[in-house]
Amino acid sequence: MVGRRGRVIGRIAPGIVGEVMLPVRGATEAFYAYPAADEVIEVGTPVVVVEFDPPRTVYVARAF
Amino acid sequence: MLWTYLIAGAVALVVLLILFRMVWRVAEPNEALIISGLGAHSNTDQVNDTLGFKIVVGRGTAVLPGFQTVRRLPLDIRATPLTVTCVSSQGIPLHIKGVTAYKVGDDYGSIANAARRFLEQSDEQVMGTIHELFAGHLRAIVGSTTVEEMLHDRETLTTNIRGSLAGDMEKLGLVVDSLQIQEIDDESGYIRNLGRPQAAAVEAAARIAQAERDREATEREQVAAAAKAAAVRQSSIAQAGYQAEVDQAKSKASQSGPLAEALARQEVVVAETETAKLNASLAEKQLESSVLKPADAEAYKQRTLATAARDAQIASAEAQAREVALRGEAQAKATELTGKAEAAAVQAKAMAEAAGIKARAEALATNTDAVVAQQLAEAYPEIVAAAAGSFEKVGNMVVLNGAQGIEDTLVKTITMGGSGFALAKQLIDSLSSKENGQHATLEPVHDESA
Repeated sequence: MVGRRGRVIGRIAPGIVGEVMLPVRGATEAFYAYPAADEVIEVGTPVVVVEFDPPRTVYVARAF
Repeated sequence: MLWTYLIAGAVALVVLLILFRMVWRVAEPNEALIISGLGAHSNTDQVNDTLGFKIVVGRGTAVLPGFQTVRRLPLDIRATPLTVTCVSSQGIPLHIKGVTAYKVGDDYGSIANAARRFLEQSDEQVMGTIHELFAGHLRAIVGSTTVEEMLHDRETLTTNIRGSLAGDMEKLGLVVDSLQIQEIDDESGYIRNLGRPQAAAVEAAARIAQAERDREATEREQVAAAAKAAAVRQSSIAQAGYQAEVDQAKSKASQSGPLAEALARQEVVVAETETAKLNASLAEKQLESSVLKPADAEAYKQRTLATAARDAQIASAEAQAREVALRGEAQAKATELTGKAEAAAVQAKAMAEAAGIKARAEALATNTDAVVAQQLAEAYPEIVAAAAGSFEKVGNMVVLNGAQGIEDTLVKTITMGGSGFALAKQLIDSLSSKENGQHATLEPVHDESA
C-alpha cells in the first residue's frame, strides 16, 4: 500500500478523519486518511500513501 | 474388452466431473466465499492466522462436502435510509432525513470482520443495526453543531460524521460509499425564520434591482425609441432624398425620351432638309438643264430674232421717215408757196375791206343815222322776216278791231324794228367810241392750215 497514489475526497486535516480513494486489488477503494505532517489537504489534491494502518486507514502526504 | 475399458473410463470420467462439480465452488465478483471446517486456513498474510476460516474472492476453490462449509458473503452495496430526531447545539429539535450507502470492504480484514458480524443475518437486521449506529453518531454530531453550521457547512458535517464513524465502521468491516443528509426540518420554524431577514433582504434587493432594471430598461427603451425615431427620421429623410433623386432621374429619363426623340427628329429633319436641298438642287439642275437652258436658247433666239426684226423695222422706219421727211419737205414747200399766195390774197382782200370799213367809218362819223338807216334798211327784210316768224306758229289769228287792229299790230311790229334800230345805233356809237380811244386796227388773219 505504501507508495500508492490517490486523490482526496474528504478534507484531511490534523485531528479529523479525511478520506482518500486508492487503487487497490484492481479497483478503487475509499480509505480513511490522516495527514503525515501537520497540514491541511483539500479535496481533490493528489496524495501519496506514506503509512498503512490495516485494515482501512492510511497516512498520506501531498504527491507534489 | 476394449469397449468395456472405454465405457468404464468414460463413466469414471463422468463420475470425476460430477465429483469435481460437487466440490468446486466459484465466488461471484460481488461476493466472498467464507469456508470453514477441515483444513480451512487463511490464505493471506494480511489476516491473522488465528482467523480459522478461509476467504475466497473472485475465484473458485474446492470444498470438501461434509468436512467443510461454504457461505457466501455479499459484497455489493446496500442503502439504508436514516430518519433521526435530534437536538442541535442550540437546543432546537430537528428532524434529519438522509441516506447512507455502504458495503463490506474489499480487503480480507474487512471481509473477515463483516463475516464474523453479519454472516447469516437478514438484511433487515443488518439495516437496523446500521441505522441505529448511524442515528447514534448523527445525534452526537448534530448535538455539537449549530443549525447554521449544518445548513451552511455540509463539508464539516460530513467530516464530523466520517470522523465519528471511522472506528466503528472499521470494526464492522464496512465502507461507507456515500452519506447524504437530505432534509433538515424543525418544528419551531427556526430555519424558516433564519432565512427571513435574508429572504426579505433578497426580496428587497430583488425589488430594488427590478426597479433599477425597470428604470434602466425604460431609459434604454426611451433612448432606443428616440434613436429609433431619429433613425426613422433619418431614414425618411434619406428615403425622401433618394425618392427625389429617383423622381429627378425619372423625370430626366422621361424628359430624355422626348429629348432624344426631338434630337432624333431633329436629325431626321436635318437629314430630310439635306435630302430636300439635294432634291431641290436636283430639281434645279433638272430645270436648269430642261427649262433654263432651252429657255435661254429660246430667249436668245427670240432676242436675236427681235433684234433683227427691230433693226429691220428701224431701217424700214428710217426709210419711211426719210420718205415722209422728203415728202413733208416737198409739201411744206408747196404749202409755203400756197400760203404765201393765199396770204397775199388775204392781205389784199383785208386791205380792201379795211379801206371799205374806213370809208364806212368815215361815213358813220359824218352821218350816223343814215348809215344806220341804211344798214337797217339793208337788213330790213331779215327783220321783217324775224317779226313775221313770230306769227308762224299762229294757226288761226283773230284780229279784233277790224282794220284798225291789223294796223296796230303792224305798227307795233315795225316799232319793234324801230327799237331795234335804236339799239343798233347805240351799239355802233359805243363801237365808234372804242375805235377812237384804242385805234384798233384790223389785221389779216393767216390760216395755219393753209
